[in-house]
Amino acid sequence: MAPKSSAATKQHATPAPAAAPEASPAAAGNALQSLLNAYNQNTSPRLKLIDAFLVFLMISGVLQFLYCVLVTNFPFNAFLAGFGSCVGQFVLTASLRSQVNPANRNEFKDISPERAFADFALGSIVLHFFVYNFLG
Amino acid sequence: MLLRRAAALLALVLTACARSSTGDSVLVVLDPSLDKDAYSTFWAGLTDKGYNLTFRTAKEAQPEIIQDEVAQFSHVVVFAPESKNLAQDLTPQALVSLLDKGTNLLLALSPSKQTTINTLASEFSLVLPPPGTPLISHFPARDAPATVVPVSPPAAHPVLSSGLPPVWFSGVPFAYTPNPLLIPILSAPAESFAADTSSDSGADAVFESADRAGEGLWAGSSLSLVAGFQATTGARVTFVGGVETFSDEFAQKELPQGKSSGNKQFAEDVAGWTFQETNALRIDKVEHHRVNETEPREMYTTNDNVVFTLHVSKFNPIKDTWEPYSGIKDMQLEFTMLDPHIRTSLPPIPGKAGEYSVAFRVPDRHGVFKFVVNHKRKGWTHLESTTVVPVVPPRHDEYPRFLSAAWPYYIGAMSTSAAFVLFVALWLSGDDREGRKKGLKTE
Amino acid sequence: MATKAYTLPTNVAPETVANIRSLVRIVSLALISAAAISSRLFAVVNFESIIHEFDPWFNYRATKLLAAKGFYEFWNWFDPTAWYPLGRVVGGTIYPGLMATSGVIYNVLHALNLPVDIRNICVLLAPGFSALTAWSTYMFTKELKDESAGLLAAAFIGIVPGYISRSVAGSYDNEAIAIFLLMFTFYCWIKALKTGSAFFGTLAALFYFYMVAAWGGYAFITNMIPLHALALILMGRFSSRLYVAYSSWYAIGTLASMQVPFVGFQPVRTSEHMAALGVFGLLQIIAFAELVRSHVSSKQFQTLLYASVVAMGLVGFFGIVGLTYKGWIAPWTGRFYSLWDTGYAKKYIPIIASVSEHQPTAWPSFFMDLHMLIFLFPAGVIMCFSKLRDEHIFVIIYSVVASYFAGVMVRLMLTLTPVVCVAAAVALSSLLDTYIDPTEPVPEEIEPTEAEATPQDPAKKSKKAAPAGNPTSLGEYFSRFTGNTNKPRGIFGINNRLIVLFNTFGMLVFFVIHCTWVTSNAYSSPSVVLASTGADGNPHIIDDFREAYYWLRQNTPEDAVVMSWWDYGYQIAGMANRTTLVDNNTWNNTHIATVGKAMSSSEEVAYPILKKHDVDYILIIFGGLLGYSGDDINKFLWMVRIAQGVWPDEIQEPNYFTKQGEYRVDDRAPDTMKNSLMYKMSYYRFNELFGGQQAMDRVRGQQMPKQGPTLDYLDEAFTSENWIVRIYQVRKEDILGRDLKIANAFEQGRKRKKTKPPVRRRALA
Repeated sequence: MAPKSSAATKQHATPAPAAAPEASPAAAGNALQSLLNAYNQNTSPRLKLIDAFLVFLMISGVLQFLYCVLVTNFPFNAFLAGFGSCVGQFVLTASLRSQVNPANRNEFKDISPERAFADFALGSIVLHFFVYNFLG
Repeated sequence: MLLRRAAALLALVLTACARSSTGDSVLVVLDPSLDKDAYSTFWAGLTDKGYNLTFRTAKEAQPEIIQDEVAQFSHVVVFAPESKNLAQDLTPQALVSLLDKGTNLLLALSPSKQTTINTLASEFSLVLPPPGTPLISHFPARDAPATVVPVSPPAAHPVLSSGLPPVWFSGVPFAYTPNPLLIPILSAPAESFAADTSSDSGADAVFESADRAGEGLWAGSSLSLVAGFQATTGARVTFVGGVETFSDEFAQKELPQGKSSGNKQFAEDVAGWTFQETNALRIDKVEHHRVNETEPREMYTTNDNVVFTLHVSKFNPIKDTWEPYSGIKDMQLEFTMLDPHIRTSLPPIPGKAGEYSVAFRVPDRHGVFKFVVNHKRKGWTHLESTTVVPVVPPRHDEYPRFLSAAWPYYIGAMSTSAAFVLFVALWLSGDDREGRKKGLKTE
Repeated sequence: MATKAYTLPTNVAPETVANIRSLVRIVSLALISAAAISSRLFAVVNFESIIHEFDPWFNYRATKLLAAKGFYEFWNWFDPTAWYPLGRVVGGTIYPGLMATSGVIYNVLHALNLPVDIRNICVLLAPGFSALTAWSTYMFTKELKDESAGLLAAAFIGIVPGYISRSVAGSYDNEAIAIFLLMFTFYCWIKALKTGSAFFGTLAALFYFYMVAAWGGYAFITNMIPLHALALILMGRFSSRLYVAYSSWYAIGTLASMQVPFVGFQPVRTSEHMAALGVFGLLQIIAFAELVRSHVSSKQFQTLLYASVVAMGLVGFFGIVGLTYKGWIAPWTGRFYSLWDTGYAKKYIPIIASVSEHQPTAWPSFFMDLHMLIFLFPAGVIMCFSKLRDEHIFVIIYSVVASYFAGVMVRLMLTLTPVVCVAAAVALSSLLDTYIDPTEPVPEEIEPTEAEATPQDPAKKSKKAAPAGNPTSLGEYFSRFTGNTNKPRGIFGINNRLIVLFNTFGMLVFFVIHCTWVTSNAYSSPSVVLASTGADGNPHIIDDFREAYYWLRQNTPEDAVVMSWWDYGYQIAGMANRTTLVDNNTWNNTHIATVGKAMSSSEEVAYPILKKHDVDYILIIFGGLLGYSGDDINKFLWMVRIAQGVWPDEIQEPNYFTKQGEYRVDDRAPDTMKNSLMYKMSYYRFNELFGGQQAMDRVRGQQMPKQGPTLDYLDEAFTSENWIVRIYQVRKEDILGRDLKIANAFEQGRKRKKTKPPVRRRALA
């Protein structure tokens, strides 16, 4: 269980612009600033909605992981289900994000945003089905 | 198996009204040379108890003991110390097969000859001295010959009545190799020995006999005179070193101290034990169920609490019935899969006659377990019972479902789903707006 | 204006062509399915509708229970008659996919008022699924090349013996449905990767879940897909499509796979699954890095970012290693090691090495199972190099990995077969494309230098070209050989075409003949029923196994415990319905070793073991009379080895060989061998059969000793018609508590050695 989360949390810990490490070198600080600016300028509201969802999932995942590490991992299946639902939903949403991102238009020739959303919804429903099956 | 047989025998006993728990027909095989009347006290004692005695000589073939593989008599007495060979149906093999069929045997060894019975004795872990070496003792001083020895029975013995006066014995002693099925009933006196009577004239004889035998001295209390044997089928055999122990003469013969001998009572005790009148136990019923339930389950789940109950009866020769018996204090129950996982005492329940019960927790291990009761005490019927029950892991819905420790995860999963629904709703509404925008644009 | 080698009708409307094409495709697929199914019915035609071999008998038994009692009972099934007295938690130790599939089919048919016997469903499941496999292979190959290659691949997989060997009618085993699932999962993966669709990723995950539920070989997918993804990343082909496909597959697939009780937490606990997890993590990191990069152009930041990505990757890797070291993640299992070191199993886990299908593959069997495909296979792989899209990389990796595994273990030939079919189909279809295409190259465009060089030394030329020139198709090879190395490739004239096409056609015909022959002769035997040919050429059915199993069923108490070597456990349970000590599910080495020890020890040593395990009957297979080489004496050394693994002090393999190191059963056999229970049971009363002449073991080809072995602790209970199966009853303990040997001697009236009383003190000298 730990390895799964270690890989996932690490990448959780970084993408949130607000939660970026303070201890970075000054150059990185500048870069961060420009990153934030670029983000604010170039991102459509829909992508921002997705990003908000992603941040929520990340926080939820981190909290569950911390609870597992610090308190108990006893119903291990429940932990895997809960954590897996966060991670799974996260990657599915991230997939959606990259599919609807106009910047990636040329990569996804066959996939219209509507199709992407339908895929996303289907994947999520399947995911949640397994999560609840595994939870109890 | 045991139960069924016991039940069948019970029915038989009730109709026949005999004193034995296994039947009342007795075949007595005698030497032609042996005077039947010299043992009249013994025969009369048996007849009084309700046995049907059938007599035949050792060479006669009729009546047959085994017909069509079925034993015709419940008990067989062979008093034939002089016959080297017995009839066809009394070969050692046939006698052993009788035990297999549940027939009890009372056999007399010959002090002078290598008879069939003497040969057979070695199958029962008895070791006989060379032929012609009877028991000799010069103590206590008495007017009887040295080969007629008064022997004190053990003070407390499961087979014999308590307070039995010494018993006259004349015959062959025997040693025995360890066998848990063997029950020595009467041991030789410490100062006795086995030797050639003709040359018995003092210490030299002792030494010579010891030397001749080559394996040490046949002497002392480690020798046995009368020994019982209980086969694994429950059938009982008694070997008697000398047939005269049962004779009228010895019954009436006075002891050196002037008291009357214990032979009559001894013979009755030995015959009673051999014919399964006394110390006969049986298991009536085995029950097991979960605590707070009454019906047994086909299989138990690990960590179940299970009650095991055993019903034991003892035969009462006076009333001729089986009665519930709570007298066993050291019964044990094992819950076994390859090795005993649980071994616990199975105490009698006060107030419930014949019931032995214990409750215990099934181990946390699945497999095919057995309730094993294996109570074997010398002189008593062996109580053996094996009940097979599979122990299975809990079913998928028998595990605890919702655990308090897992609440954060439940909340996490549910919040994810809720957020997903919310997200979808937002997205779709946003989609509409965007679609409209798009539509506007395209227009 | 290109010339044509032959003219095509031009007055056909394009729609008509398209319609006819799709019609022909559908008809071909249907015919291929029919061929696939019917070629698997040899077993039913030659013998009868019966479950084959060993494992299928268990699957069949489980399915019967599932059909009779429903899924939940099956899920919670604890089988007290297997692995006596340990019992087996069946629900948690099997892959239920196969039984669930049959159960669903059974229930659907019954809901439709088609009262089909569950046995027939089981028997015909594998052929039915082979049709689906053909279809999924078609889809897979279609993604790789085009429909015609797909049809070829479907035809190949439909009849190739390498796959038929595990899917004839009656071979009701996990592999029967697993290969279909394998191919379909791969197809979904390729499709997901190509389109970047989360839908196909989810579909791949669902079929992956089905695969996990169906076969332990799912680990192959678990590692193939990450390997492919990793290869793509390393080749600098990371794309958002890869991210979408892999993430959706892994996130859903892993969670789904953990629903199977037998798999449980393994996907996060064992090393075999770590590759998938690691690649998943790596993808997340890279995706994030890409995202950031798209928003920022600072060079410095990028450097920093790459450094941190590499650092995180390293931390993740060492984290996994560390966790393995600390025991959080189970290290690789023995079976896994034996894939890398073929000698490993023999040394450390004889139980795995003893299984015949775990042996390394013999070279002829490659040809036997794949025939001409084995030659076309490399060509197909090379063609994949020439295109080298993402899916071609997948096929290349798959070929390399599967070829290796197929060389290590016979049974893994099964995973190689699909990719061989696919690659061969690609190669063959390219060849046909080139040669059927009527377009002729324009001769004017021949460059004079090349035209001069080629006719003189075509072979040398092609050699040179192969490594350097990145040949684009097999057609080019052929065209070089025929001297037409033009840039616009093509074939001149109709004769060349006809020659090559005729050859190809001939090869295909031979392939079909070979497949049919192998299927009908080698792979259709149920092994429960044997066939032999009598002296007059008439076939003769040897039905000893069933005879013996039915004897057990009819003549022994229902709770009787039968001991046999584990090969026959499932059959005894399935056909005789009796309790067994060990069976083909080899999860408990010690228990099997116990049986091995009982078989290889002398009677006196074995008897307490038999008693402790409540054994009532012992069943052995003896081929000495008939010359049936798969008997227990030939397997005996494995029993010894496995027992030695657990009791090295009591059982030693060298004791079972002669001083010269030979394995003999005749006069010169060592005493340990002659006293072993297995030897005694096999040859007990064997001499009597030869009426005074010296007995002859036809399997070993050795003369038996004049004096046959005797048995004191066992009674012969049953011997089948051809002596293949012999059943012995374990004697009860003697009623007088004697050793059974002595009791036996007494029964036979032999004089007993006079016992002496235990010496208590010495006589005075």
